[in-house]
Amino acid sequence: MPPISSSKKNDVWRNVLKDYTLHDGIQDELIDESGEIRPVWRSFVQTISGVSLDDWKIRIARGQQYLRDAGVYYRDNSTQGTTEREWPLSPVPLLISEQEWHQISVGLKQRANILEQVIGDLYGENTLVRDGFLPGQLIAKNPEWLRPLVGVEPRSGKFLNFLAFDIGRGPDGKWWVLGDRTQAPSGAAFALENRLATTRIFSDLYSPSHVHRLAGFFKEFRDALLALRGGDGSRIGILTPGPLNDTYFEHAYIARYLGFMLLEGEDMTMRDGKLMVRTVDGPKPISVLWRRMDAHWADPLELEETSQLGTAGLLNAVRSQNVTIINALGSGVLETRALLAFLPRIAREWARDPLIMPNIATWWCGQKAERDFVKTNAYKMTIGDAYATKFLFDTDDISLKANKSKDQANQSLDDWIDDNGETLVGQEAVRLSTTPALDNGKIVPRPMSLRVFLARIGDHWSVMSGGFARIGNSSETTALAMQNGGSAADVWIVSDKPVNAETMLQTPSAPFVRHQPGILPSRAADNLFWLGRYTERTEHLIRLVRAYHVRMAEADAQNTQLLEYVHDHATYLGIANVEKQFPLAIRTTIHSAMNAANRVSDRFSMDGSRALVDLAKTIDQMSLTAVPGNDMVRAMSVLLRKLSGFSGLIHDNMTRFMGWRFLSIGRSLERAVTTNNLVSKFSNPDAPFGGLDFAIEVADCAMTHRRRYELSTNRSTMIDLLVLDPLNPRSVVYQLKELESLAASLPGSDENHQLTPLQSTLIRTQAGIAVETPDKLDETMFATLNNQLSQFSNDLTSTYLR
Amino acid sequence: MRYDIKLKIEYRYEYPAAQSRHIIRMMPAELEHEQRFIAGNITCTPQADEWASRKDFFDNNCIEAAFKKNHQNIVFSLKARVERFLPHEISNRVFPLSELPTALSSIRTLDARSPLHFCASSIRAPIENGTRSFARDLVTDDMSLIDVVSTIGNAIFQEFKYDPKATTVETPMLEAFNGRHGVCQDFGHIMISCLRGIGIPAGYVSGFLRTRAQEGKPRLEGADAMHAWVCIWCGAENGWVEYDPTNGFFVGQDHIVIARGRDYFDVAPVKGITRTSGGHKTKQSVDVIPID
Repeated sequence: MPPISSSKKNDVWRNVLKDYTLHDGIQDELIDESGEIRPVWRSFVQTISGVSLDDWKIRIARGQQYLRDAGVYYRDNSTQGTTEREWPLSPVPLLISEQEWHQISVGLKQRANILEQVIGDLYGENTLVRDGFLPGQLIAKNPEWLRPLVGVEPRSGKFLNFLAFDIGRGPDGKWWVLGDRTQAPSGAAFALENRLATTRIFSDLYSPSHVHRLAGFFKEFRDALLALRGGDGSRIGILTPGPLNDTYFEHAYIARYLGFMLLEGEDMTMRDGKLMVRTVDGPKPISVLWRRMDAHWADPLELEETSQLGTAGLLNAVRSQNVTIINALGSGVLETRALLAFLPRIAREWARDPLIMPNIATWWCGQKAERDFVKTNAYKMTIGDAYATKFLFDTDDISLKANKSKDQANQSLDDWIDDNGETLVGQEAVRLSTTPALDNGKIVPRPMSLRVFLARIGDHWSVMSGGFARIGNSSETTALAMQNGGSAADVWIVSDKPVNAETMLQTPSAPFVRHQPGILPSRAADNLFWLGRYTERTEHLIRLVRAYHVRMAEADAQNTQLLEYVHDHATYLGIANVEKQFPLAIRTTIHSAMNAANRVSDRFSMDGSRALVDLAKTIDQMSLTAVPGNDMVRAMSVLLRKLSGFSGLIHDNMTRFMGWRFLSIGRSLERAVTTNNLVSKFSNPDAPFGGLDFAIEVADCAMTHRRRYELSTNRSTMIDLLVLDPLNPRSVVYQLKELESLAASLPGSDENHQLTPLQSTLIRTQAGIAVETPDKLDETMFATLNNQLSQFSNDLTSTYLR
Repeated sequence: MRYDIKLKIEYRYEYPAAQSRHIIRMMPAELEHEQRFIAGNITCTPQADEWASRKDFFDNNCIEAAFKKNHQNIVFSLKARVERFLPHEISNRVFPLSELPTALSSIRTLDARSPLHFCASSIRAPIENGTRSFARDLVTDDMSLIDVVSTIGNAIFQEFKYDPKATTVETPMLEAFNGRHGVCQDFGHIMISCLRGIGIPAGYVSGFLRTRAQEGKPRLEGADAMHAWVCIWCGAENGWVEYDPTNGFFVGQDHIVIARGRDYFDVAPVKGITRTSGGHKTKQSVDVIPID
C-alpha cells in the first residue's frame, strides 16, 4: 500500500486512520495516489479524529434512533420468508467535491438523453436493429420489450422522466456506469432518509460543511410532474404494488413527501379510454402516474394476465395518450445488461454523441467474435444473464471469475458459453474504489458504488446533489449487495462556499408546496373506516379484559358467577381463555388496524404511524410476559394510555376532511355496536350481581354514573347512561348522532337537507330508540338495533367504499 | 374456396359482474395471397359501453370492449364471409437446420412477421427439455427443414391421443405433452415447443377448420369448434409455412386464419378481466359452411 504521506498527517489523523490500509491497484476516495488526504475530506477527517469510541457509539445511536422512529428498515426477502432488519446505515458519508460532481452530472445527463433516443427508436422506427447497431434477437427475446406498446408514442413525447445510474470509480480514477435503472428506480427516498440520519450523526459537521441539499431536486421534479398534467386540474398518482413490496416504505414516503395520492391498481378504473381513480365521490381523472411497479404487472388484460396488482385497460389509456406514465411502460428494456455492449457504438455512430462517461466493458456472447473473446478472458470477467435487468451485485445468476459456473460442473466452461451464447454476457470484473467506513470503531476502506438520480425537467435533466452509496462489508469488491451484509451511506456533495439555503430540507411530513384539494380513493376510505373500527374495537377489548382481571384479582365467591358471565361474553367477542393468558384477539385486532394503517400511511402524520407501531410492539411484548391478575390489569392500563396517545394524535392532527370522516364513522359505528352488545348482555335479567357496574366500567362511565344518579346502579340507570343519554360520548344515541352529522357531509348529501338513504337509515335507527324509556328497551330491541347498525355498515360500503 | 362463418362465445358468471373489460380476437384476417376477408361483423349482448377495434402487434384484428353495468352473461357473435386461397408452393430444396442461426442473425427487422419473435420460450409454449429431446430424436442432419417440420408434426399426430376430456384451456403444455394427449391447442403448443427447442421459429395460429360432411349425410351444424395450428419459418425462400399437428398435414384451403401469435396468450378469442366474486363458464359454437 502507498503510505499516507507523513508530512500531511498530524498525530491525530494518524491515529484515526491507523487502520486505513489501502488496497493495491484500486482508487480510494479519501486518500489520493500520493498518499494525501483529498481536499474535500480534510475538515471532515479533522472532526472525526476528535471522536472517541464512546462518542461514535452515541452518534450512531442517534442516527439509528432516527431511522427506527421514521420506520425505515431493510426488508430481506429470503427463502425463509420476509424479515425486517435494521436499516444498515454506514455512518460515514461519501464526500465528493462540487467540481467532480459537475463532471459526473454532465456525463449522466448525456447518457440520459441518449437512452431517451434509444428507447424512442426501440418502440418506434427500429433503425437501431435495421442498421445493425443492435441484434434483433436481443430485442425480440427481451421480456421487457413490450409488444403492445410498440408504435405507441408517450403523451408527453418522452419515455424517460426519472432515472438512476449505478456508477463506480475504476482503478484509473475515472467514473464508470455499472448499470442503468430505467424502469422504476428505487432509492431516492432512502437517500433522503440516509441524509436525515447522517445529519443527526454529524450534526456538528453538516451545517458548516457546505453540503448541497436534496430537497430542491424533489421540489423541481414535483413541479415538473404537476406541469405534465396539462392544466386540466386532473390528478397525479404514485402507483405502488402495495405493502408487500420491499420498497413500499419508499412509495408511501414519496407520496407523502410530494403530496400525491398513493394508489394501488385496484384504485383505478378506465372510462372511455381515460384513467380514473375510484373515489368516495365517484371516479376522478388521473393524468400522470409515477409508477413504482414493474410494467409486467400494470395491466392484466394485455401484459401479465395473472397480475392482481394492475389496472385492466391501462394500456388503452396509454395508447389513447390520456395518461403520462413515468417512466413509460416498456422502458425496462434499457436495463438489459447486454445493451451495455452496444451502447458505446450507438452513442458514437448512431446518436453521434460519444459517451462522456464510459460504461463497464461488456461482451454479448450471441456474436461469435465476442463469445470467443469471453471464453479466452473468462478468468477476469463476470459472466451473467444477458437479459438480466438487476443490478450487477444483486443477482445470484452470475458465475464469478468464471471458474465456478453454476450447476455446470460436468460441462467445460467453453461448452457452457457456446450452448448458452445468446443468453450470456461477459463483463470485466469490476474493481471499485474504496471509501471510509466504520468497522468496530475503526475507520477502514470499503468498496463502494453510487446510485445517482436524474429527473426530467421539461427538456432538461436535473441531477440530485447526492445519492445512495452502497458500501461493501469486506474488502471484496463484489460483496456490495445489502443482502450480503453491505450497507448504505449518505453522499455529500461539498461546495467551497456556502450552499443555497433555499433548498433546505423540510420535515418529511410537511410537503413543501401547495396541496391539491384532497380527493379520497375508495380503498383509502375503506382502510380508514376499518382503522377506526379496529382501534375502537381494541380499546373495548382492553377495557373488558382489564375489568375482568380487576375482579379476578379480588376473586371472592360473589365474583365467580360474574367472572363466568364475563368469560362467556369475552368468548363471544373472540377472546378465548380470558382468565389464562394475554388475549390473542387484542393482538390480531391491532395488527388488522396496522394493516389498514399501512395502506393509508401516506395520509396521516409520522407521529401517528409511530404511535401505532409502538402500540403494536408493546402488545406483542406483553402478550409474552403479562400474567393473569394484577399484572394483566397493569398491562391493560399501559395499553389504554398508548392507544389514547395514538387516537389523540390522529384525531387532533388530521384535517377535518373526507379521510377523517371515514375514520370517525368507523370509530363511532364500532363504539355504537360494542356498547349495544355490552348493554344487551349485561342488562339481561339473567346477568349476575355486579354485571351492571361491570358494563358501566367497561364503557368508562363509572364516574359519570356516580355523579349523575346519586344512587346505586340499577338496570334503568345503566341503560339510560349507556344507550339513551344524548350528551354522553359513550352512549349509543350519542354515536348515532355523530354518525348522522358525519353522513351529512359525505359526498352526495344535499345542501337542501334532502336525505340520502344512508342518513335516513341513521335517523330512523336513532328515533327508534331515542323515544323509548329505559324499561322499554329489551333484548329484542337491542338485536334490532344491532341489525340496523350492520345494515348501515353495508350501505356505507356499497355507496362509497367499492 | 369461400366460407360463411358463424361463431358464438358465451360467458356466464356465477355472480353478477360489476365491471368487465375484454379483448376480442374473433374476426378472420385479411392475408395477402392467402385469405380474403369479404365481410363480417361482431356483435354482443348486452351492448358494450365501450367498443373500439384496432390491430395488435402481430397485425391481428382485435376489439377492446368494456361493460360498466352489472351483468351476468355476455354473448359475443361473429358472422363473416371469407375466401381462402391455396397456400404458396413449398419448396423442398434442402435447407439444413444448421444454417438457420446464420439466417436468423442476418434478419434486421422486428415487424409483425419477423421470425425473431418466435424463437424464444413464451408463457404457453415454453422450451422444455422433454419436448426438445423428443424433437431431436426424430430429426437427422440431412433432413430439409420442411421434412423436419412434417416429421415432428406427424409424430405428434400419430403418437398423441385426441381427447377433449384430458385437458382444459388452462392445462400447461408440458402436462399435455407428458400425458401424450390433448386437443388442437395442446398439440399446437407442443409442436411449437419442439420446434423452438431445436432452433426453429414457430408460432400459433387460431382459426377455423372446415369439417367435411360425411358421405351421404347432411353436414352437422354447430359441430365444429375453433381450431388452432402452427406456423413455422422455414428460411428466407419458403418463408412461413403452416402445419396442423391435430390432423397431421400442411395447411391447405380448409383452414381459415383469425390470428397469429407466439402462443394462445397472444390470440385467445376472448380475454377478459372482470370484477366479480365468483367464477364463470364459457360456451362456444361454430359453423363453417363452404358456399362454393
